[in-house]
Parts: sequence; C-alpha cells; structure tokens
Amino acid sequence: MTALLGYQLSLLARSQRWIAPGILYVAVLAVGVQSGQPVLDSLGYGSAALLPAAAWLVRVCVTNEPPAARHCASAAVGPRRVHLAALLTAFGCTALVGTAGTVFIVLISRGTSTSGAVVVPPLAAAAAGLLAVLACTLVGTAVGALCNRPLLRGTGWAVALTALGALLALVTAGSPARSAVTGLVSGSDSGTVAFALVPTAAALLLAGTAAAVACALAARRD
Amino acid sequence: MLRGIDVELRRGTLVRFHGSNGTGKSTLLRMLAGTDSPSEGRVEGRPRRVAYVPERFPGALPLTALGYVTHLGRIHGLRRGEAKARAGEWLERLGAAEHARTPVSELSKGTAQKVAVAQALVAAPQLLVLDEAWTGLDAAARDELDRSVAERVAAGATVAFVDHDPQRLVRAVDVAYRLEAHGLVPAEPPSLEAGSESWVRIVAVGPVGAIAPAGLPGAPSVTAGPDGTTELTVASVHSDGVLRALLGARPAWHVRAVSPTPDQVQRPTPVRERNQP
Repeated sequence: MTALLGYQLSLLARSQRWIAPGILYVAVLAVGVQSGQPVLDSLGYGSAALLPAAAWLVRVCVTNEPPAARHCASAAVGPRRVHLAALLTAFGCTALVGTAGTVFIVLISRGTSTSGAVVVPPLAAAAAGLLAVLACTLVGTAVGALCNRPLLRGTGWAVALTALGALLALVTAGSPARSAVTGLVSGSDSGTVAFALVPTAAALLLAGTAAAVACALAARRD
Repeated sequence: MLRGIDVELRRGTLVRFHGSNGTGKSTLLRMLAGTDSPSEGRVEGRPRRVAYVPERFPGALPLTALGYVTHLGRIHGLRRGEAKARAGEWLERLGAAEHARTPVSELSKGTAQKVAVAQALVAAPQLLVLDEAWTGLDAAARDELDRSVAERVAAGATVAFVDHDPQRLVRAVDVAYRLEAHGLVPAEPPSLEAGSESWVRIVAVGPVGAIAPAGLPGAPSVTAGPDGTTELTVASVHSDGVLRALLGARPAWHVRAVSPTPDQVQRPTPVRERNQP
C-alpha cells in the first residue's frame, strides 16, 4: 500500500489538477477569515471550506490515471486497492492542508468568544478545530467517493453531483459535517469549546462505508 | 459479451487467444489479469505477480518513463533501489533508455508502448497478459518482447496474449484458443510461413557422454557433431533461453559457437509437448 500511495501522490503532485481545489480552499479562507476575528467562528468556517475541496480532490485522484495505466496497476495489486489508494491520497492531502489551515487560523485569530467576554484557550480551540477538520474531510471524501468513478462514470453528472453533494453535506440537518461546524460556530457565541467527537465518529463510519462501496465496484468495466 | 468461457492456463505455457474484432478478447484478457471482474463466474488461482500490457498506452501520465516504471516495480513488490535499477535495465533492453527522463506525456506512441512493456516485465511476473502489446513497437523492441516472453515462459510463468499478427511467436505458442460467439474453442496454431522464422545453431561441448539437458526451451533438435560436440538448432526466439540453460547446467556446458542457420538448410522437425486444457 505504501508503494501505491507513493504512486498516487506523485501522480497528484505532478498533474497540477490539485491546484483548483487548493485555490478554492485558500480563496474561501482569504475571504472569510481575517486576523483578529473570534477563533472558534473562523475554525468552523475554515473546516466547512474543506468539505468541497476534499470531494473535488477525490474526483481528481480517482480520475487521474488514464484507464490503460489504471489497468496496469490493477493487474499488479487488484483494482480495489488501487481505488482505495486514490481515496486515501485525496483524504490524506486534504486533512494535511486542513491541519495547516487550523494552525494558521488559531495563530491569527482572537482567542475569545464572539462577544469578547469569554477567553477561549488556543490549544483547546486547535483541538476542536482539528476534529471538525477531520469530520469535514471525511464527509467530503465520502461525497467524492460516491459521486465519481466507479459509481458515476460520465463527467457531467459526476461533477454536478459532487458539487451538489458537497453543498447538501454542509447544509442538511443531521450531516456530521454540519454538526461539527455548527458546534464550533455556536460555541463561539457562548465561549464554550465543543469537541465534535460524535460527528467525527459518524463521519468516519460514513466515509468507511462509501469507500467500501466504491472499492467493491472498482473492478466494474469502464 | 463473453459467455461460457471455461479455460485452465498452466504454469510455464504460452497461450494465444484468437478471435475477430468485437468477440471480447480484450475483456477476457483483462479478466485474466484481474483488472475487470466477471459479472458471473470467477477467475481462480491467479499467481501473486500479475502484469498486464494494454494495446495502447496513454500519453496522459505526468511522470517520467523511469519514474513510472519504478513506481510500478514498487507496486509489484520490489524494493526502491531494485525497482529503479530494473526499470532502467528494461527501458534500455527495449531501446527507450534515452527517454528515461522524459515525461510519458511527451513520448511518441511507440516509445510510450515500450514504457508499457517495461512496467509489465520489471518485476518478473508469474502471469503476463499481453493485449496486442507489440502494436507500435519498432522491430528491435518487438524482437526483445518476443525474447522476453520466451524467457518468462521458460522461467515457469504463464503468458497469455492476443495479437493481430498470426505468425507472432508461432513457434513458441503452447496452446491456442479461438473466441467465438458461444465461447472458447481450442484452435490449431497457424502453420509456419516459409522463411518467417529464423533459427540459431548452437555448438556446445558437454560432460563426456552427456546428451543435452532435458527440458530445454523451444525443444531444440539435437545432433552429435564432430569432436564430441553437440549441435542444437532452435528457433531464434528461444536461443537465449537454451544458452542460459546450457551455461547454467551442472556441470556446465561449454558453448563453442552460435550461428544463424538458414531456414531451408536445417529445419528441425517440430517436437512439441502440447498441453491440452
């Protein structure tokens, strides 16, 4: 699996297709997060921005290899593992960027509640932010896995449904990503740090199921 | 659509699939290689190291030729240093060494196909699946692929292939099948075209009184020569394998001469073991 991940990572790094979802995330942060704003609010915003970026990056990773090249790698280790490596690469890269984003937000933000009345300790804020990052990245990965190859093959439908899926995952009540984000944002009003343990566990379950379904179908003929 | 396929591929055999366009040869090969799974039925007993060469290798990969083949070597289970060394060797054998540092996306079709062949051979596969892998290769690379296939078969691997050239590896094919609408039927390999094959004569000296080692690749014809020498005549695709076997025998044989043999002068009677399914 290490070799497969190295291969997928090289493909991703040299393909330049990571730039667009990367710009999406950075642009949303640049617009919505400014120095001196309440930290929990900004962390909630930042982790929400990660979800569509994760879904997009999954699309990039699972469609990065031309089919003939994918068949070569699939013959070596089986199509399921090839697909899993693509999903893990997208997840890992997004989570890494989200971690960097969290550190950045904690450093530039104001460590209080929205009103400024309650002090929010930076380490607790960072930990809560990382949990929300994890939940949003997992849900984004699940959306990407379910809305692209091998489940959806056509480019048009896949792109449209990936975008719609990411949007719905952010606004639908009951979505683990939405719970994690609102936990941070409403916690900012009262100055309480909410650790999104249950949403993250639910997101993990969701992403695991989505990845299992996608990988099981990876040997379907294109 | 494929239906009613029941076939057993043995170790150490070269298997050819015939069939007209659209009969599903490529699909069958991809199922053998394990990249596609059948919607009904199953493929069992695949060895650990499986490699596949597609008919056309896409130029859309952003990696260099050497980088790509090295990655595939690692995926096949080689260590990093070994993968890189072998990737370089195979690109060189196939005549693509000068393009090793070129991104695959900038390679010509023929050179990209060499990269596809190199990734399949880099880790000495036990099952090698070739879907018209010769298409687009230059003559030297086609010969090298022929030799490499013979080498894999001699090493005990199974090689399955499809090719539009009916004379492809015709001396070396052990089993042939034809894909028809109702399934797979055994096919007689096409007959040799006169002059389509080249032969190599090897003059060697073995231990006193020894006849040639058993199980030489390509079933060479063996005759006693002057001064205690033995003359072996074999299809040129197998000559490297025969030499390797002679030199690797215990006690080792001494090779005195290797020369091309005109087809019409000495064509050995084909003695072949045929593995029926």
